[in-house]
Amino acid sequence: MTAFPDFALAGPELLLAAGALLLLLIGAYGSEKRSSLVSGLSVLLLLVAAVAVVIGRDGSTFGGAFVVDGFARFLKVLVLIGSAVAVVMTQRFAVAEKFFHFELPVLIVLATIGMLLMISAGDLIAVYLGLELQSLALYVVASFHRDDGRSTEAGLKYFVLGALSSGMLLYGASLIYGFTGHVDFAGIAAAAAAGGSTSLGLTFGIVFVATGIAFKVSAVPFHMWTPDVYEGAPTPVTAFFAAAPKIAAMALFVRVVMEALGPVKAEWQQIVAFMSLASMILGAFAAIGQRNIKRLMAYSSIGHMGYALVGLAAGSEAGIYGILIYLATYLAMTAGAFAVILSMRRDGAMTEDIESLAGLSRTNPTVAYLLGIIMFSLAGIPPFAGFFGKYFVFAAAINAGLYWLAVIGILSSVVGAYYYLRIVKIMFLDEPKGAFEPMGGEMKAVLGISGLFVAAFALVLGPLGDAALAAARTLF
Amino acid sequence: MYSLIVFLPLIGFLVAGAVALFGAAATVPAPEGGHDAHGHHDDHHAAHAEHDDHAHGDHDDHHHAVEPAAPGSRVAELVTTGLLFVSAILSWVAFISVGFGEHETQSIKVLTWITSGAMQIDWAFRVDTLTVVMLVVVNTVSSLVHLYSIGYMAEDPDRPRFFAYLSLFTFAMLMLVTADNLVQMFFGWEGVGLASYLLIGFWYKKPSASAAAIKAFVVNRVGDFGFMLGIFGIFVMFGTISLTDIFANVATVEGKTLHFLWGDWDAITVICLLLFMGACGKSAQFLLHTWLPDAMEGPTPVSALIHAATMVTAGVFMVARLSPLFDLSPTALTVVTLVGAVTAFFAATVGLVQNDIKRVIAYSTCSQLGYMFVALGVGAYGAGVFHLFTHAFFKALLFLGAGSVIMASHHEQDMRSMGGLRNKIPLTFWAMTLGTLAITGVGIPGTEIGFAGFLSKDAIIESAFAGHNPMSGFAAVLLVIAAGFTSFYSWRLVFLTFFGASRAPKDVYDHAKESPLVVLIPLGVLSLGAVLAGMVFYGHYVGEEQAEFWKGSLFYGPENHILHAMHEVSFLVKVSPFLAMLVGLAVAYWFYIVNPALPKKLAAALPGLYKFLLNKWYFDELYDLIFVRPAFAIGRLFWKTGDGAIIDGLGPNGVAARVQDVTARVVRLQTGYVYHYAFAMVIGVAALITWAMFAGGQ
Amino acid sequence: MDELLRDYLPVIIFLGVALAIGLALLVSPFLLAFKNPDPEKLSAYECGFNAFDDARMKFDVRFYLVSILFVIFDLEVAFLFPWAVAFKDVGVFGFWSMMVFLGVLTIGFAYEWKKGALEWD
Repeated sequence: MTAFPDFALAGPELLLAAGALLLLLIGAYGSEKRSSLVSGLSVLLLLVAAVAVVIGRDGSTFGGAFVVDGFARFLKVLVLIGSAVAVVMTQRFAVAEKFFHFELPVLIVLATIGMLLMISAGDLIAVYLGLELQSLALYVVASFHRDDGRSTEAGLKYFVLGALSSGMLLYGASLIYGFTGHVDFAGIAAAAAAGGSTSLGLTFGIVFVATGIAFKVSAVPFHMWTPDVYEGAPTPVTAFFAAAPKIAAMALFVRVVMEALGPVKAEWQQIVAFMSLASMILGAFAAIGQRNIKRLMAYSSIGHMGYALVGLAAGSEAGIYGILIYLATYLAMTAGAFAVILSMRRDGAMTEDIESLAGLSRTNPTVAYLLGIIMFSLAGIPPFAGFFGKYFVFAAAINAGLYWLAVIGILSSVVGAYYYLRIVKIMFLDEPKGAFEPMGGEMKAVLGISGLFVAAFALVLGPLGDAALAAARTLF
Repeated sequence: MYSLIVFLPLIGFLVAGAVALFGAAATVPAPEGGHDAHGHHDDHHAAHAEHDDHAHGDHDDHHHAVEPAAPGSRVAELVTTGLLFVSAILSWVAFISVGFGEHETQSIKVLTWITSGAMQIDWAFRVDTLTVVMLVVVNTVSSLVHLYSIGYMAEDPDRPRFFAYLSLFTFAMLMLVTADNLVQMFFGWEGVGLASYLLIGFWYKKPSASAAAIKAFVVNRVGDFGFMLGIFGIFVMFGTISLTDIFANVATVEGKTLHFLWGDWDAITVICLLLFMGACGKSAQFLLHTWLPDAMEGPTPVSALIHAATMVTAGVFMVARLSPLFDLSPTALTVVTLVGAVTAFFAATVGLVQNDIKRVIAYSTCSQLGYMFVALGVGAYGAGVFHLFTHAFFKALLFLGAGSVIMASHHEQDMRSMGGLRNKIPLTFWAMTLGTLAITGVGIPGTEIGFAGFLSKDAIIESAFAGHNPMSGFAAVLLVIAAGFTSFYSWRLVFLTFFGASRAPKDVYDHAKESPLVVLIPLGVLSLGAVLAGMVFYGHYVGEEQAEFWKGSLFYGPENHILHAMHEVSFLVKVSPFLAMLVGLAVAYWFYIVNPALPKKLAAALPGLYKFLLNKWYFDELYDLIFVRPAFAIGRLFWKTGDGAIIDGLGPNGVAARVQDVTARVVRLQTGYVYHYAFAMVIGVAALITWAMFAGGQ
Repeated sequence: MDELLRDYLPVIIFLGVALAIGLALLVSPFLLAFKNPDPEKLSAYECGFNAFDDARMKFDVRFYLVSILFVIFDLEVAFLFPWAVAFKDVGVFGFWSMMVFLGVLTIGFAYEWKKGALEWD
């Protein structure tokens, strides 16, 4: 009786799902030596999915629960690249640290499917399903190094707090459903617009949903898990956590807020602005006190999500454009930074101490310069990529009249510049403490490409900006 | 051709500069290497074992370290010197074709430099007689100094840098004298200032040299400030800074007033006084003169080129160039006369008692510059420029000769440790004697026969007598007295250095030998100039043919008949400087040849006066008290209290400390307990909901 | 309002009945059962732990593995029942959806079997 939905629209996701299952079987029934084969195939799978996303068409299917538009495609490509890079960077490290199992890439692929679903979500149920698929895979991945106490602790913390946030999200979703009678975004928007003055219940629902998503983007005050999980999780997993899930969660935030709650902007704008503000400030201040570079990157990512949320708080097309540019640059910078962090191996052991980067400019100048560029970019110094992201979101905030948010954002980025530049200072001015072991080829490639992208961002801004503009326009 | 003249030295500078840079990069072993260990200390004399018992003290003029010469030194020397000689020859060609040809003033545009609103500045050469006179002076002396330096600096390891600076200076000086507008002139003006700074501090490892360089730079800043204000004033009044347009429009500005500081003043007077302030700084006139004697810390060729012949005359040149403006302001001219006369007198008195051979000549320079300004002040611009021209030859000769003496006496500069060198270095002795004859103004009164200084200096004194401004009489008297002093200290220098018994350690005296040919050739050429420059050019500069020669490049107002009047002063006036010169010579002879013990007795009899003169009228101490110490006090106040306590305390340091506090607190929030985290989330949700309930949506 | 409440009436009745039966079953043993305790009867269950002991004791994680696997397949069955009941209505799409679901579970089952999760030792 029911006609088949349009599966072709969900082609990339279906491809990944089928591929993941197949990889599971290959891994389970193949010999241990096939493990790296699974990694390679996962990367291939993710890249093929990315191509499929690019050449796919727009539309919506599964009764409107699954939406493909320019916005979704732009971010899906980013997520897929982020996941693929994470898998690439995982293999060697995990083998060296003796916790590699073929499930790791498979879990990453599964988490990626969840992210793609989040990005394409067209109703609250799809939101929850995507979020949970992602989260469950991530919980496992976080504790993947199960012989390491820190890793299991990270996984447990993430799970407990994640469950709490999922509960809040569900509660909020049910309130929204209860007070608008709809789960699909268009219906919610129509009901909210028709309602005139919004009811208290809807306000409650909005706050809870925002809370649930804010946990995933690790916006203050729902960020507490981030430093611990980042530090505890195996480093390649941290690299994965820092990039793709953040992008997906931010995409989800944008979509829910703009599509479902666009008409009641006044309800959420202040909340988003507050989270943004708090995240920027906390990210800047707390990172200063860190010795561990993974913890530092955790606070850095909190801060960066705060900056991206500035664009959302603006709630304009320019703001969304800013977010998209910001996420693209953030992905590149994070990948490059983690390529170096993953290579901080000396005397056969990993080190996560920032001080161990001392004198890198003399022991390995190329890496030092590339990381230096990335750090400048993270600090938002022109002409590097990070500057443009910040520029667009702050410009959007000012155009939206949120002057105080832009001003405080710029001030906190000044504070934040301190710890990025401190790394540069340590690399270039301090006495060397001995060289790291040589970098793997894939790390070099990731670092080189991201460094180049960051350094020459002004050149790629044209085409990338066009794509982002087209993507942002689809939400309006 | 003019482009070649101006830009050849620039090319030389670039080549030598590149050599110096690459050489420096090649010889510096490592960033933390012990280059400083090769300091400028006496232990380096270990290489010269035979001189080891001889301490050199602070007057160690020469940087003869055991360091190897920078690579490419020879190339740098040859290229810069060669280019300078080409430039010098072209200058003489230009001099003859412009000065003795029929050329009108022409302006050769090189490029458009600045366009900003109503202000359009071209980079252009203004070519007239005044320009070519300066071209000849600058390029001739500069090329000879380059040549001389090859010999004088032979032991220095940093020759490419030295020659690069010299050529840079020459280029900047040429920019100055060829300027077609005031901004371009200011560019050259600052350029020579920079080169002067670099060259005074050439031996930058010697603290006194660095200090002297800074002093020169800072004192010049004071003058430059006035110059800049003058340029601004001109732009305000004329709407242009092009010399041609200014001269064409002086009549329209005459009589207007300009609001400056607290009142309205006659515009031209204010502008001229401000410009003159710049000239005072650059030409070391009274009150802004203190840097010039200290500038002798630089290598001697530098003293000859920059601090005697060319740069210090830039102020004279500037006033002469702007003679159409100055001629309209009697007040300004009176001030110029007064300052020039006082400088001439003051510097001559100080020169009487100095013992450092270079300082004597430095004060002499200062004094002679005063003469030039007096000539400008009474309206005899031609006489001023003429003295500039002749002075360049004989003063460069004296400096280079002094350099040759210093080389011979093993880098001793104190004349009390010299004496009897006449037979040791006869060629230098004769060159110095010719220079001294020139500066003291030996000639036959009433005729046009005499050494260069005789003709030009007497022309100035005559014009001062004939002048009409309130100060000219006073100036003339001072100048005659100063002429006597000049004679005394010049001959004193010669007698102390070349005559009598040697007061130097025996081995130094025994080893004194004549300088090499590259040093002697410039001395010879300059001697020629010192003897002939006056006689040959007198008629053209100030005599009958002056109008045809200058062709309007120096401006004489309709009331200004000074050049005629000066020829008609009484014979007594004409002979007075000559008599003063004879008196000076006689006294010097009596003091230093006949009765060498007398000066000491005199100094002991008049200790106050002697100390006053020896300490240069206590100007350095006075400035230290008036400016330096209060400036230090204010600086310390701003530094410790203003910057340290208030700005840093409340600003960067305070903020940084607060940041650290906040960071410490935020980090402590991160306890690691899951229930704390969950609690934070719940609190956050509660707070957000409360906020949204009361503030959202309304 | 009344109508709304009336809609919920069956739920209330259902809750009431469930409460009654539950209470009856809990209370009746105290009233009716024959009590003759001995140490063996009061000891822990064969697979588990002492009923009254420190909660923070070590235990074998395999219990949880088994129970989780059990829950998964239990849910699968719970999912199959309504599907089977409504089989006529869900149509071809419904049929294939369940087939995909079962296929995914089967792959999972194959995985856990291969990994040895089903073996106690």
